[in-house]
Amino acid sequence: MIEVRLHGRGGQGAVTANEILAEAAYYEGKYAQAIPMYGTERRGAPVTAYLRLDEVRVRERDLVHEPDIVVVLDPAIAQRPAILEGLKEGGLVIANYPHPPELYPLGGNFMVSTVDATAIALETLKRPITNTAILGAFSKVTGLVKVESIEKAILHRFPGPLGEMNVNAVRRAYERTPMPIQARGEVRKDEEGPLSGSGYGLIRSAAGWRTFRPVWDLDKCTGCRICWIFCPDNAIGWAEEKPTVDYRKCKGCGICVNECPTKAIEFKREGI
Amino acid sequence: MEHKSFEVMTGNKACAWGVKLSRVQVASIYPVTPQTTIGEYIAEFIANGELKCELVNAEGELATQAIVKAASRVGARTFVCTSGPGQLYMHHPMHGTSSGRLPVVMATVHRGNKGMQPDHTDLMSQLWTGWIQWYCENNQEVLDSVIMAYRTAEDKRVRLPIAIGYDGYILSYTSEPVEIPDQASVDEFLPPYEPIPNILPDKWAEAQRGRGAGMMEGFMSGGGDPQAAWRIHHEAILNSKEVIKEVNEEFGKRFGRKYGNGLVEEYRTDDAEAVVVAMGTIASTARVAIDRMRSEGKPVGLVKLKTFVPFPTEDFQELGKRVRAIGMIDRNVCLGLGGAGFGELRRALYDLDERPKVLGFYAGLAGAEVRVRDIEKMAEKTLKAARGEKVDPIVEWAKLGGGG
Repeated sequence: MIEVRLHGRGGQGAVTANEILAEAAYYEGKYAQAIPMYGTERRGAPVTAYLRLDEVRVRERDLVHEPDIVVVLDPAIAQRPAILEGLKEGGLVIANYPHPPELYPLGGNFMVSTVDATAIALETLKRPITNTAILGAFSKVTGLVKVESIEKAILHRFPGPLGEMNVNAVRRAYERTPMPIQARGEVRKDEEGPLSGSGYGLIRSAAGWRTFRPVWDLDKCTGCRICWIFCPDNAIGWAEEKPTVDYRKCKGCGICVNECPTKAIEFKREGI
Repeated sequence: MEHKSFEVMTGNKACAWGVKLSRVQVASIYPVTPQTTIGEYIAEFIANGELKCELVNAEGELATQAIVKAASRVGARTFVCTSGPGQLYMHHPMHGTSSGRLPVVMATVHRGNKGMQPDHTDLMSQLWTGWIQWYCENNQEVLDSVIMAYRTAEDKRVRLPIAIGYDGYILSYTSEPVEIPDQASVDEFLPPYEPIPNILPDKWAEAQRGRGAGMMEGFMSGGGDPQAAWRIHHEAILNSKEVIKEVNEEFGKRFGRKYGNGLVEEYRTDDAEAVVVAMGTIASTARVAIDRMRSEGKPVGLVKLKTFVPFPTEDFQELGKRVRAIGMIDRNVCLGLGGAGFGELRRALYDLDERPKVLGFYAGLAGAEVRVRDIEKMAEKTLKAARGEKVDPIVEWAKLGGGG
């Protein structure tokens, strides 16, 4: 039995990716069990999902604690040592990370491959939904599921243009993903606490949730307070008739960017 | 797998497939996590023209139950589903459905009464409502159970509503391959519902007598049995055991899989000195634990308890003669009384001349994760008791998270 753990953020499609993998594996005659971990998730919050692949019906109904493979859909989470918890010795990490595996910051006894799934998602889907791109990388690196099966499962779930766009993402990721190397980064402990601390009021900072950061051009800003009214996370404050931002509270939802009547807010890609 | 129609689906979709294949005519659903997507899948089937069914949006679970009760009475095959707090809100009309001997089928996607996570306290809170109760361990069993439930509930020897419980999250949202039986075979297995037309004036009195509402006669003549309504209802549930077994056997013959004898399923109990009893998904994980222990030469087995109401007293009495200790794993607690399974099991075994020891374990409440190693520990303790070693306490809150 092969056990996989997926890390992502609400909205990136970790749960869907997991189900697509299960279906693709099933097309190849494997038995699959795709478990999402649900709490009080919301867009941007860390989420976890688990996958078991076997030749026979999987009877275990607990979660995966010692994965053979860890798949990370988010570049900020990919840098957190917590993703390595329980990973088998010599296991495999497939990370959405914008640099080659030689530069992957985590170390230990595991293999790693990286792909800039966010860039691929932005090219193909025009939005940072990284789940289908990472599946292309999974197929390339593990060989456990054929890329054709993944494409079939995607088209079954999303028929039409949406499916085609996602298939495109899978193919690009398949082409661009290098074969894994021994991890060379730093061996260190995670100091930020558990990855999926779900529940309201528990999150100390939502900064790591952002793919994009809103940035105000105060010359264009008329001080109308529309952004302040619409911000769902109370991240926008007010001083001297102009907005101020607490970026720890801002999860990068982009509602302020969308609502601003004078287009004074620019949405800038966060750097990793 | 390739010769049959399989699809990778969640437990909630498997449930909706069961509803579709059973050609349900009226369903009423109010949203509550984790059962909500059943209603969404059913709505999708209807919108795609795959299912001809009236899906009634109601203002709450009390109303959903009242709606299916009325629809069942006038002759429709009906379905309702809920979870946790919704189940509790439905309590009152559930009595009406069962007292009316109406073959409503309900899915209870378990969510405990102390939070969002699953345990069996929602459906266990309905033990006194006069419904048959089944518990499922995987998505295939969910789909199959819906079909078997209509066949059983609508059998004229039964005419009782059936609740099908399955663990929320653990099954409701987990995807795995499920075989979809073909419609023609389901149609042969499950003929259309033939209602007893008790709403017609000439049938009313007779129907009421048949259902045990004999108190009307009593009021009229002064000589009736005011207890008859309870007695006849109780006996009807007890008598349903044979039909449950029969339907399970027939399902097995037609579709190639069955669930023990319909009431319980014994797993590797041959020559077992000790067995654990588990319900729902814990029974699935327990199979792995039992396999591991058997490979180490330990004589332990598993009994999966599928039908909790009516309780399979005879099966456990027969088992009680073969084993020296039984460990009951309860994913529920009746506060101040104890685990429902533990209590029923002891009640069933009390009349045996030589009784096995009965141990109790609380495990998996409020969604606590039950791992393979946890179940091994419970089975180890039960085996100790079987071999005459002193175990203390007899009933424990299992320490979970043991690894492996």
